Amino acid sequence: MKNLLALFILLIVFTSCKKETEYIYEVNDVQVRQDATGKGFPKSTIEFLSIAYSDIYGNTISQNQLNRLSLLYLAFGDKKLLEDLLIKNMINRPEALLPSNQTMRADVDLFVVNAYQKLYNRSPNELEVFTLKKNINENAQMTSVVVYYAMMTSDEYRYY
Amino acid sequence: MSKTMQRRTFLKRTALAGVATIAAPYILPSGRLFASTGNRIANHVVFCLFAGGVRNIESVDMQRGNLMPRSFSGAGSVASNIAAGMDPLPNFGGASLQSQGTLFREFRYVQGPTGHFNGHSTALTGNYTLQDLSIKEAPKMPTIFEYYRKHNSPTQNALNAWWISNSLGPYPSLNFSTYPGYGALYGANYMQPLTLISEDGLSALSNPQNFSSAETNQISSLRNFFNDRFPKASQANNASIENGMLDRDPVQNFIQQELITASNGAYIDPWSLGTSMNSDMYNVLFTERIIQTFKPELTVVNMQGVDICHSNFTEYCNNLRKADYAVGHLWDTIQNTPGMANDTILIVAPEHGRNLQANTILDQFGNAALDHTSDATSREIFCMVVGPQGMVQQNQIITQVTGESIDIVPTISHILGFRDDIPGGMLNGRILNEAFV
Repeated sequence: MKNLLALFILLIVFTSCKKETEYIYEVNDVQVRQDATGKGFPKSTIEFLSIAYSDIYGNTISQNQLNRLSLLYLAFGDKKLLEDLLIKNMINRPEALLPSNQTMRADVDLFVVNAYQKLYNRSPNELEVFTLKKNINENAQMTSVVVYYAMMTSDEYRYY
Repeated sequence: MSKTMQRRTFLKRTALAGVATIAAPYILPSGRLFASTGNRIANHVVFCLFAGGVRNIESVDMQRGNLMPRSFSGAGSVASNIAAGMDPLPNFGGASLQSQGTLFREFRYVQGPTGHFNGHSTALTGNYTLQDLSIKEAPKMPTIFEYYRKHNSPTQNALNAWWISNSLGPYPSLNFSTYPGYGALYGANYMQPLTLISEDGLSALSNPQNFSSAETNQISSLRNFFNDRFPKASQANNASIENGMLDRDPVQNFIQQELITASNGAYIDPWSLGTSMNSDMYNVLFTERIIQTFKPELTVVNMQGVDICHSNFTEYCNNLRKADYAVGHLWDTIQNTPGMANDTILIVAPEHGRNLQANTILDQFGNAALDHTSDATSREIFCMVVGPQGMVQQNQIITQVTGESIDIVPTISHILGFRDDIPGGMLNGRILNEAFV
């Protein structure tokens, strides 16, 4: 009986804790999230640069400027880092036409809707309006530049 | 008998379980028991592609005199039929790179067209390329950068791997491949300094909006909200490497700082050479700035000024001297950079050579120009491995045909201690063991 008990314990020890084999296929992880935006196409470099220019300055970039920016874009490997630096420079120029903080706080609903339509080319849903309004209203430090910069360096801005 | 067997089995399994219990905490995510970094020869490699197409006839054979006194020992003065076309460079009286390492005088670019992009791809992937290589695409086989970043434990960040090219064209695409399981995730930081650090760069990149730390937190929070609601991975059509969040600020600061330094005039004549400074030298200058700032473990830089040889042989010789000066300057900078000095191995090699027969174009000194169209001479190159005593064989010249272009990637992976971690069948070259102590 003792032997049977010992055998039973050993069986449990050596069979119940068997590690599952983990197969690793040489593909990158893909995160699955819900897409409510309907956007499926990434902007090309030229589209990204010219759209960003229009969104910030309110007019069309010249072909000469576009060519020069495109070359700069080619000259550095981390595109996201370079886009971030480009946007930070664009919004810091005096000719940038971003809504002022007073305009934002005078009508937060309108600011949010306008920002979504201008930058994401769509209307925000209720959750998006609620979240941005909450962030702006509860945070006196939140500026219109912060909101525009965050939107223009988000993933959705890279798509149309 | 039955009891004995049970006891033996029990003891065997207990012993195995014990070993597993002790070893398990040291098994790395990659499945290996020990980190590869323990077997390194040096902690830094700088690979200088002496590119543009350099013949052994003008380099190691010195048929026009010693045009590369910083690289090669030898006092031969510059030949009279090109001397008038040489820009002044400071005399050099120090120890040549050759004396500080091993020179493979008869290295070979064995297969594939002797084209610049083919040669670069071969040198960076360790695999020869054929006629169908597309200059609009990243290489099909992994680059040395990807092997380095993927097969180190822990995996290395992009700040440790840099590819600096002196022209655009197809070269930006050499920082990662399309090979499954490698790619942008393991690519190198890429920079083409002469375009980035420029008037246009100054105008577009040097005066960014600065955000306070409170604003940065708000931005991060808002961006996370936006990104969480958008399922597509950014950059799908423009796949690029990405520095980690903590590394982005130092890189952006570096770009800004270099732009401001340039705008202040500090790079007008940085090496006090007057009008002799050419684009190869500037490319090496910014490589030195990267080395001084980030101390990368793997740096690859190219020079291509000698390719003017298609139309001007004398200027080819002139640019060969300048490239040689630049490599010497680079080595001096490495030796004066704490963290890199005495812990860096420099590899120098052209991507391919040039033809034996000249074309029909004569320069103003009556010297005929040279193309590179895959004849035997255009496959003859040199390779030099330079490094500290105790790591690299000093003052050694290997005169017989030894080594080829595809050996450079295995050699770099050997120096940085991850050669054994690269899956079998990926690399056909061998380690240039002759160079190491």
